[in-house]
Amino acid sequence: MPIKVENLSFVYNEGTPYATVALNNVTFEIQDEEFVGIIGHTGSGKSTLIQHLNGLLKPTSGKIYINGVDITDKKVSLKDVRKEVGLVFQYPEYQLFEETIFKDIAFGPTNLGLSEEEIEKRVYEAMDIVGISRELADKSPFEVSGGQKRRIAIAGILAMKPKILILDEPTAGLDPKGKEEILNKIKEIHDKYKMITILVSHSMEDIARFADKIIVMNKGRIEVIGTPREVFREAEKLEKIGLGVPQITSLARELQKKGVAIPEDILTIEEAKEYIVRYLRGTKNV
Amino acid sequence: MEHVINTQNLSFEYHAEEQTRHLVLKDINLQFEKGQFIGIIGHNGSGKSTLAKHFNALLLPTEGKVYVKGMDTKDTNHLWDIRQAAGLVFQNPDNQIVAAIVEEDVAFGPENLGIPPDEIRERVEYALKAVGMWEYKDYPPHMLSGGQKQRVAIAGIIAMKPECIILDEPTAMLDPIGRREVISTIKKLNKEDGITVILITHFMEEVVDADRVIVMDDGKVVLDGTPKEVFKEVTLLKKIGLSVPQVTELAHQLKREGFDVPLDILTVEEMVEFLCR
Repeated sequence: MPIKVENLSFVYNEGTPYATVALNNVTFEIQDEEFVGIIGHTGSGKSTLIQHLNGLLKPTSGKIYINGVDITDKKVSLKDVRKEVGLVFQYPEYQLFEETIFKDIAFGPTNLGLSEEEIEKRVYEAMDIVGISRELADKSPFEVSGGQKRRIAIAGILAMKPKILILDEPTAGLDPKGKEEILNKIKEIHDKYKMITILVSHSMEDIARFADKIIVMNKGRIEVIGTPREVFREAEKLEKIGLGVPQITSLARELQKKGVAIPEDILTIEEAKEYIVRYLRGTKNV
Repeated sequence: MEHVINTQNLSFEYHAEEQTRHLVLKDINLQFEKGQFIGIIGHNGSGKSTLAKHFNALLLPTEGKVYVKGMDTKDTNHLWDIRQAAGLVFQNPDNQIVAAIVEEDVAFGPENLGIPPDEIRERVEYALKAVGMWEYKDYPPHMLSGGQKQRVAIAGIIAMKPECIILDEPTAMLDPIGRREVISTIKKLNKEDGITVILITHFMEEVVDADRVIVMDDGKVVLDGTPKEVFKEVTLLKKIGLSVPQVTELAHQLKREGFDVPLDILTVEEMVEFLCR
């Protein structure tokens, strides 16, 4: 279910004195099974962009094709679009509302008009995927920890079996451990179900490890797009817009400037270590 | 000399329903010097926010004592003096702004202290200038970014002329730019205005420059020292679910490979200097 966005522009409060251009001529494509990171600071347009992908916002101009169908066309049923494109908002735990965890996760699939057996099957499956014990099904979603709440909220989207899963800053406000858990879970889900996964984040470190492709947004435009390595080669550009690169990438760049044989597009500590060990052994032998 | 904050065998338990007792803080003894920048780190549930709430009498110890500028937090006669001396800034910028205009919000604290209007005006101006938000004094708070709102919240505390500001994950909900604004504001208040800062955070890089870093786990203080002393303990930090800066991790991995690397490297500059000396 590939996504193609063409010349997408969006203006908030168009025709009023408060008109703000949130997206300015954005064009990109996402292929099946891709894991895409969207990064940019507040106000860069990243949340506005993802809200277009399941029809929550209508473009001021431009086209959005999902599986070849232009979802900006008035004739397209948005209900069908939302069946395929699951969007997990920021702080999704604030959207939990049902009496029990089961009912909360079942809300989406119930609205899809599925049979009771199918709903039950999907709810339990989704709970398994996010790692919420089935024994908790009848508990109130408000009695569990913050990390669990967030996973329940994600399960609610997964139970709709989206072909495209979009998550808006799923690790915001979590501690390093909770962050790791959620990110690894998302990666696991992506690897198992092969749905297109779009992860919106502030953190380069988070995105660098998992993404096949990174889209860097700035002032409503795409500033850089490419593989993590391609994107991090633009470190100066990223720093200028206040994003920066992972600390380890910035170390590699500094070392390269000093004449150490190390590529500037290092992404992980392990990679850096390999080159630095070689460098250290080399200088010792001289 | 009197400590700004002094805890003596502080323990605290939450009483959930039924008879379940949940010990959140266990025998904490900490003394904070005036003018210091102190970082407190720990994962969710380690007790660090509960500890912070004891520093201005929002919570009272189940056992032990907490003194703020020598005043016992259990002594209700001193409640307002304690809250004036030690101000608390929370995580969510949207939950702590009360007024419809920035300067009114900052005036809220001093108004409640019963300060004369002229002096309130002076204090609001001073506080908003201190956090770099004076030019936004007439703005409605909802027009501000998250980082700006947090700075307004900090100004609200500054206007009460506290000895000490306690910030409970003030940057957790902010983007990198907002985070930088807030952290540089806090550092300036500490360095230039001599305000004692206690910063509770998940982000190690925010406490790299602190005078002292305290690590909490399971309601206890497990590490207490300078950033270099604390971040050396990579194995322990990782065990309790915390992360260290990537270059620190790299230093430890190089050490394991048999290289003589100092284990207290925290920044890119230090690593480059070591490798290229």
